Amino acid sequence: MNDTLIHLEEIVAHEREHECEGLGPRRLCVRPVSVAVLPTRFGDFHIMAFWNNRDGKEHVAILHGDVVGRENVPIRMHSECLTGDALGSLRCDCRDQLEAALRKVGTLECGAVLYLRQEGRGIGLINKVRAYALQDRGLDTVEANRALGFRDDERDYAVAAHMISTLGMKSVQVMTNNPDKMKQLQDLGVHVSGRIPHVMPPNVHNRFYLETKAARSGHYIDFSGRAHLPEQAEPVVIEGMPEP
Amino acid sequence: MNAIFPLDPHPGVLVVGAGIAGLACARDLAHRGIPVTLLDRGRGVGGRCATRRVDGQPVDHGVAFLHGSDPAFLDALHSVPGATLLEGWPSRVEGTGAPCQPDAFAPNERRVAFAEGVTAFPKMMVAGLDARLVTTVVGLHAEDDLWRLDLAGGGTARARTVVLAMATEETLALVDGLPPGDLELEGARHLLRMVAASVPCLTVIAGYPTDVPAPAWDVAFPETSSILKDVVHDSAKRQDPRWTVLVIQAAARWSRQHAGEPVASWTQSLLSEGARLYGEWVAHPAWTQVRHWQFGRIESGNELSGPLVVEGAGGRTLGIAGEVFAEGGGVQAAWTSGRLLAARLAERTIG
Repeated sequence: MNDTLIHLEEIVAHEREHECEGLGPRRLCVRPVSVAVLPTRFGDFHIMAFWNNRDGKEHVAILHGDVVGRENVPIRMHSECLTGDALGSLRCDCRDQLEAALRKVGTLECGAVLYLRQEGRGIGLINKVRAYALQDRGLDTVEANRALGFRDDERDYAVAAHMISTLGMKSVQVMTNNPDKMKQLQDLGVHVSGRIPHVMPPNVHNRFYLETKAARSGHYIDFSGRAHLPEQAEPVVIEGMPEP
Repeated sequence: MNAIFPLDPHPGVLVVGAGIAGLACARDLAHRGIPVTLLDRGRGVGGRCATRRVDGQPVDHGVAFLHGSDPAFLDALHSVPGATLLEGWPSRVEGTGAPCQPDAFAPNERRVAFAEGVTAFPKMMVAGLDARLVTTVVGLHAEDDLWRLDLAGGGTARARTVVLAMATEETLALVDGLPPGDLELEGARHLLRMVAASVPCLTVIAGYPTDVPAPAWDVAFPETSSILKDVVHDSAKRQDPRWTVLVIQAAARWSRQHAGEPVASWTQSLLSEGARLYGEWVAHPAWTQVRHWQFGRIESGNELSGPLVVEGAGGRTLGIAGEVFAEGGGVQAAWTSGRLLAARLAERTIG
């Protein structure tokens, strides 16, 4: 057993009876329940699974290296996207973003991808399909997407902030193109020491970002004519694009 | 047609529907100093949070109990002045059928009822607000930078900001009368159509002398009935009740199939089914009353994440809230959606 795993298991043991007032307006509290080695095609990780006091969603932290007690830990918050992450949908960029995050973290000394099970909590997936149905009718309106809750959920930050605290990270560098995410974490008591732009390599599926200008209501239109909503709540940046 | 208010246009926000969503929205707007007037077709506020008095005894014939997990909502329930809060009601539950909201008995959910009737909550919310009851809105029209509401009986009311806080079907009926063309409005309209799936509920209130073998449960959710959704032992909420009262609520599909039949006929069906499940005495009440909830509740899975705000020409703004417009449905969702809507409207009005 490696030292990192021993460290992480100590956290699980130490937090076994953890209970606190919780973070954010919903007073969300998470507790690590189990940790294991997770070799992936993107690098070697540990996976830590969390229980929470609000719903049945099981959030996970995917950890590389020893993050415990460290400063300036690079972290990426990723919101679950069944259609993109698992099914390879080309209506969004979630899979590219997740892969880029795992690859990047896998090359660093240490880092974490906090995988937040937003979708499927309550009505996420159903409403995503509704949003796609509206898009199919040419009704990609800002207000409708907002009512559908399209990646606009502050509760995820409470989950992430609590995970960061549980893991004893002294400060974090947030991998994001949306500076607002840093502020959200800071408001929940996380020490944010910096930001790392989240840049993805170009591929056959995201090439349109380099070739087309952001058109309708700030969305990019892909090769099949569909608008790409910013499902991870931040602008997409491909290598070769200027930062937003 | 004549304007019904001395000030025309209304200087603030007109809220159509004084159910929990409309009340929550109006209350928060008023707290921010925005003039607000509520319009409701009913004789009382609260919508489906409805209490009648029968022989002086309160009877909740819509929502039987309130439940939630949002700390702010629970605080609001606990802040009703002078009310006797029944913490944890219902504590005695019979049967394993599904409750109206799937989360009602989840581990983090708190449940409460009021000994004075569930309307204690909306009555607290309406205190200090301008609410016009028995006022039915029959039409919505754009008039330059204003909305015009046409009222049953011929009056009108105009304002730059109108909130629709009714059942989705009722909101849709008003919004459908607006001319097409505006993309945001079209999006909202399509969204409303997607989620307009309220289910009806035929309800019988049955009173019995207190010497009947009163049930040992507060609420029953029968698992073997295609007729009944639930039976509420309403008098278990009351102090020294004069009558043992059951509120018998029919299942959605059954309600839809039998809503057109004579009241006496479906009343008898519900009582007979109650007797089959819980004892012959249920079939022989001393008195009955009925309520036909056309839009009784929403089916879970139809909720959206938040309220809608659609802006038109010249800052004309339409807000839409209700239990469909927040996760989970039910009273907590209605309350949440109304408050979120108020916050967004206030940003526009003041900012």
